[in-house]
Amino acid sequence: MSFLQILLQLAGGVGYTIMVTVACSLTGVVVGLGVAMLSRIGPPWLRGLLGAFTFIFRAVPVLVLLFIVFFGLPNAGLRVPPLVAMMLSLGVIAGAYLAEVFRGAFDSVDASEVLAAEAMGLSRFQILRLIEIPQMLRFAVPGMINEFTTVLKYSPFAYTVGIPDVMKEAMSLSATTLRGVEIYLAVGIIYFLIYKLLVTGVWALEKRTRIPGLTG
Amino acid sequence: MTLLSVQDLKLEYDGRIILDGVSFDLAQGELKVIMGPSGSGKSTLLRCLNRLATPTGGRVVFEGRDVLGPGVDERALRQRIGFVFQNFALYRHLTALQNVTLALRHLRRMPAAEADERALRQLARMDMQAHAHKYPAQLSGGQKQRVAIARALAMDPAVLFFDEPTSALDPLMSREVVNILHQLRDERVSMLCVTHDLYLARAAGGRVMFLDEGRIHAEGEVDELFGPNADPRVRAFFHQELRQAQTAQPIDAAQPMDQAQPAGPSGPAGLAER
Ligand SMILES: Nc1ncnc2c1ncn2[C@@H]1O[C@H](COP(=O)(O)OP(=O)(O)O)[C@@H](O)[C@H]1O
Ligand SMILES: [Mg+2]
Repeated sequence: MSFLQILLQLAGGVGYTIMVTVACSLTGVVVGLGVAMLSRIGPPWLRGLLGAFTFIFRAVPVLVLLFIVFFGLPNAGLRVPPLVAMMLSLGVIAGAYLAEVFRGAFDSVDASEVLAAEAMGLSRFQILRLIEIPQMLRFAVPGMINEFTTVLKYSPFAYTVGIPDVMKEAMSLSATTLRGVEIYLAVGIIYFLIYKLLVTGVWALEKRTRIPGLTG
Repeated sequence: MTLLSVQDLKLEYDGRIILDGVSFDLAQGELKVIMGPSGSGKSTLLRCLNRLATPTGGRVVFEGRDVLGPGVDERALRQRIGFVFQNFALYRHLTALQNVTLALRHLRRMPAAEADERALRQLARMDMQAHAHKYPAQLSGGQKQRVAIARALAMDPAVLFFDEPTSALDPLMSREVVNILHQLRDERVSMLCVTHDLYLARAAGGRVMFLDEGRIHAEGEVDELFGPNADPRVRAFFHQELRQAQTAQPIDAAQPMDQAQPAGPSGPAGLAER
């Protein structure tokens, strides 16, 4: 079995790895946006509650939360499919980190623009939607890329709940061929390529929506 | 006809008196200038009038309605008042045109084509139509302020508020804004203009109210207000502004500009640049 054949064999798991990474990243963005938005416009008590949420979920190890969701919830009569378990653990934890990224990016929005929007007669929600979020998302790109990369690197935990991703393929392959070194070298290369694809994709999107003089 | 009537307006904050019984009227089509030292409460006064700040006493009647009472639709009130700021406060992620159409699209629910047409008319009025598709970062300070004025005018407000519209501009760019104020006054747009800029106050040609420590101490035409019989407070303010003006750079040393204009109305040109 040549190195190329190993790579091709592992490629079968690439789709799952990408699926897990994208699903968990999107979950993170939705959760992070929700938390950051509510903390920005919500009452102080809600802000405190959401602060506690981000604090706790940034502290929990991904694997621990994944096992709680996947093996624990069925005990409470709630069967969770593997991908959903990944989203509820890795995705939600990414959301806690992204909430912090978004909070910082929100703070970079010029307060005088928000005041001007208020003076114009826009509602608080309109100001958020029309002024703050479009700017904030652009400021948050580097932090988002960082977090998406972290999600990619945690995605191999998916094999523990039976998702046949790259890691899972590698483990079965090395069990049958006993060529661990080459196989995991190939795995490393594959993750690097996915990482490269992810980063290039996000920056391409950033470039297409870039506004002169707003960032960098 | 009285458009805006302010009666004994008071604002206390943390036990500190910021506004201490301000009263004045603004007639339809009138321009009134408010001058006064930093921290005298000028910005706070403007903000009370559109309920961005909440006064602790007094009455404000605008277009015949009590503005401070309960049950006032704040957002509807603000849509009747165009606000222009010292630092322009243009939305940096939007083009000049999009800055002007924003309120039309989202408050008036105007279709895009109609809003664009209307916004372009306002930009043309400010001689900015050629820059409609530029972003704020691509405009000079004077151009930004002209877009901000077009944005304020787009909603057909009953009155324009200016809060130190030339304070962030060099003398040459201030002139662009002063000329526009002059033009709007000729068009009988009602305006309330807070400024430090003696040149602006004079060139605009409205009546000037002098605010200090939360009270209006004097009111009149610029020349009588700052003339030989001036109130001592006004005199002190005037001298300080003059001193600052003398240390400011002369006009011909200003950066090259694509919108250089000949000298505006006569007056102490560039006197009060900060
Ligand atoms: N948000 C605020 N909180 C506390 N004090 C304020 C606030 N805004 C203004 N002040 C105080 O109110 C006074 C008047 O301020 P301001 O209206 O900004 O003056 P001006 O515009 O004439 O320079 C100042 O003493 C300032 O310190
Ligand atoms: Mg002020």
